[in-house]
Amino acid sequence: MTKQTRLFLGVASGILVLGLGTGLVAAYVGGFQNLTLIGGDGPAELAFVPADSHVVAYADIRDVMGSEVRRKLSAFQQGANDGAADFKEKTGIDLETDIDYVVASATGMGDPTHGEPPLVLAKGRFDEVRIEGLIRDQGGVVEDYKGSRLLVSDEKNLALVFLEPGLVAIGGAAAVRKSIDTKAGGANIKGNGDVMRLVRDIDDGDAWVVARFDALTGGKLPAEVASQLPAINWFSAKGFVNSGVEGQVRVETRDDAAAKNLQDVVRGFMALGRLQSGQHPEIAEFLNSVQLSGDGKTVSLSFSLPPEMIDALGALRAQRARPRTTPVAPKPDGSPAL
Amino acid sequence: MTAKPPVRSTSFFTGAWRVFGMSIGEMLWSRRTIFMALIVGSPVLVALVARIVQSAGIAPLRVNGVQVDAVSMFGAMIWILFLSFIVPVLGVFYGTSLIADEVDDKTITYLFTRPVRRGAVVVGKYMAYLLCTTLVVLPSVMIVYFLMVPFGQIPASFISLVIDLGVLGLGLAAYGALFAFVGAALRRPLIIGLVFVFGWELVTLLLPGYLKHFTIAYYLQPLVPHAMPTGDTVSLLQGALFREPPSVAMSLGCLALAIVASLVLAVRVVEQREYILEQ
Repeated sequence: MTKQTRLFLGVASGILVLGLGTGLVAAYVGGFQNLTLIGGDGPAELAFVPADSHVVAYADIRDVMGSEVRRKLSAFQQGANDGAADFKEKTGIDLETDIDYVVASATGMGDPTHGEPPLVLAKGRFDEVRIEGLIRDQGGVVEDYKGSRLLVSDEKNLALVFLEPGLVAIGGAAAVRKSIDTKAGGANIKGNGDVMRLVRDIDDGDAWVVARFDALTGGKLPAEVASQLPAINWFSAKGFVNSGVEGQVRVETRDDAAAKNLQDVVRGFMALGRLQSGQHPEIAEFLNSVQLSGDGKTVSLSFSLPPEMIDALGALRAQRARPRTTPVAPKPDGSPAL
Repeated sequence: MTAKPPVRSTSFFTGAWRVFGMSIGEMLWSRRTIFMALIVGSPVLVALVARIVQSAGIAPLRVNGVQVDAVSMFGAMIWILFLSFIVPVLGVFYGTSLIADEVDDKTITYLFTRPVRRGAVVVGKYMAYLLCTTLVVLPSVMIVYFLMVPFGQIPASFISLVIDLGVLGLGLAAYGALFAFVGAALRRPLIIGLVFVFGWELVTLLLPGYLKHFTIAYYLQPLVPHAMPTGDTVSLLQGALFREPPSVAMSLGCLALAIVASLVLAVRVVEQREYILEQ
């Protein structure tokens, strides 16, 4: 073996060993992803979200409200802004400008005995006096909970508290109280490795959700459907809203075999969808944008709704919404009017 | 001091080892290496461009308007470039040439007159092929991975990379062994190999029935940890209706069987066949 050959073999082996070593160290340390310096760590308000939450979601309201898609949807839907105007009149909150983003979470959603509304944390600019007055007017009471003024409406099973300046928590009374406890030192969701691993992957989206699959479906799937689905542990989705909508749905299955089964199921549906979409070019365009990918136990589905498709859907909706006029048969001359 | 008696014949494995040592250098610094460097270097170049584009804040790959994330891009490269093209092509070009080149160059006589068994020549050359291609392809995959996948996503995708490396190594071993046999047994092995890889395997994998069992790709594909990239409606439908992937254990078993059987057959052919060199 010549020196040249030995050198080549040494360099090639070195690259392999170096790469494998780096990856192995990264995987062993628990991942550089756990360092907040690399990659996002979700919004700061996750510190109020309890560690046992099964569903965590985020939406950048400013981005969504300011997007072209939202403007188009509002134009298509006549009277869509009436509710927002009414809400603004009562609370002083302009949904388009006063709320920056919201974080929502739920615990025990899968348990039918729990019917409590989820916890919603909204960051923005609020008229605290006006909102408190509104709740009092509707029969709400003020109670002190660990130094926070909790506004509770038993009638609506809702509670509200201003956790910090510009940060309000709304939800079931128990959930709101728990968020106060969590911030005061309880275990928050940032300590939940499974959830945060998924959050870090998707927190660049304008809106995202991470959920345990059983919590998301709430055990409400028909038994026939549930038995056919591969074992799914986690579900996550993110979306980017601008002139169109781009999204990615990702599920994590129990094992690699379940992921492959799910990929086959999705492929089948995609094939059938494409066959069915021959008559509808706008749907065909959407289905062509759907991309299936996956890695190990993860199955991802990415899609894009281009601006043209949103226009087409809007036109379709407008067409359907137009009142149908039934043609009146011409009356024969001289016939008596009924 | 007494002089050692001249060695007249060596054991099979010693002979194979000697042929391996001689062949590895020949194989690495042959004209084929330029071809191998080109096809293995192209994914590295693609990954480098993608990395530069990505660092400029532009999505390097969009499919029908959808931005493809780094890990999915890497997975697609493993499927499309490495598994479907580079590994079979290297297997065909190098595997078929192990014996056929010696016959064409009329140098096989020199190998067969050495004090080693003929079969050891095949095995030694096959081992040289395996080391040579593995040490070119796998580092290339490693470089592509580190260029494409962001540092923060390495822990989550590292196991998949290790599996990828194993699958590609297994693919090189299986295709190489099969075409070593084809090269030893048949005339015009290169054409037969290309027809097998780009004709037989592609067609039978899309057809219902048992024919796909007689391909290497059928057993390699279920081992890949990444989802198969989605194609057009027809391939999606065929994949959904006719795809019956074997289990991992069955895939590994069948690939191992294919490697061993092909090598044994190649050894038997070389030991029994009378090579007549054209003058």
